[in-house]
Amino acid sequence: MKSATALPRSLEIWLAHLLGYGTWIGCALIAAGLVMSSVDAASSRFILAGVGFFIALPVTRVAAMLAYFLSIGDKRFGAVAALVLAIICAGIFIGLEF
Amino acid sequence: MASGIFIVPILLLYGGVNLHAAIGASLISVIACSCGSAAPFLKERLTNIRLAIVLEVATTIGALTGVLLSGIIPNLYLFVLFAVILLASAWQMLMRRCDPLPELKKTNRWKALGSQYPDRTSGRDMPYEIDRLGMGMAFMYGAGLISALLGIGSGVLKIPAMDTALRLPIKVSSATSNFMIGVTAAASAAVYFARGDIAAMIAGPVALGSVVGAALGARILMRVSNEKLRILFVIVLVSLAVQMLLSAFGINLVQGGG
Repeated sequence: MKSATALPRSLEIWLAHLLGYGTWIGCALIAAGLVMSSVDAASSRFILAGVGFFIALPVTRVAAMLAYFLSIGDKRFGAVAALVLAIICAGIFIGLEF
Repeated sequence: MASGIFIVPILLLYGGVNLHAAIGASLISVIACSCGSAAPFLKERLTNIRLAIVLEVATTIGALTGVLLSGIIPNLYLFVLFAVILLASAWQMLMRRCDPLPELKKTNRWKALGSQYPDRTSGRDMPYEIDRLGMGMAFMYGAGLISALLGIGSGVLKIPAMDTALRLPIKVSSATSNFMIGVTAAASAAVYFARGDIAAMIAGPVALGSVVGAALGARILMRVSNEKLRILFVIVLVSLAVQMLLSAFGINLVQGGG
């Protein structure tokens, strides 16, 4: 079994940027919606988009990890990341059905 | 300590928001705070990414179980469960956490999940290994379930899982748990969102407020002594637990705005 003492720094930095900038974008969408709410009735769409964006952000993070593990040929952890994505997708499907 | 546990009781007791809208709003806040605070932990190499993705299998399955149960369990039980979780968190706050002694065995089944973290006091990279993954996964399943049912980050179950079962160093455990909370909450929030159960006009502002609040809070908290902070948290947690129990049986000390 391969001993994975430390991942290359690139993945950690990449994920840090993804989550950090993602938080800014999500907050900016919600803030824009709130600012516009006094003048524009369609502003709630911005807030809805911000909320949807926040839900998608961690899921994108898992997809980024899947892509990374596959790119370095780590099939075991790639499979685990794929499984987490599959559970989330299955959840939406099951949740809508029941 | 995550802020998520305070959002649902505050929205319910003081905001006049109904239970399911409060849970939805809290989940979005939990995701936003997890994403917003992940970067420094990742850059400092405290987050164990491989361990996180393995444990996320258990937390996301737990979250889906929670979503399915949320439609069946009556609100009364959810209020009582919330009060129990608040009291357990207060109890945990009183107990001191200590780093488990590093125990590097010759044969460890989960060697691929071990890693190392930079230790500030010694200035060296400290290696650590993962112990009792099965027990850790079981706790994480429970954490995901509670998270989806109550809209919280479930630190109360993640701390024993990571400290006692997996024997992780505290800093690694805090960073990894924070990293995982986002995906766990997203698994249930995605279902609630797809069903149209999340009130964006409540969830959006609450999420924005908690990201800003977390950033400001971290700066203020650095100036307050840990001991005072712990006592304050315990008092707030216990008083919220009492109010949740009372409102479970229809007694409202504070009249909500809505």
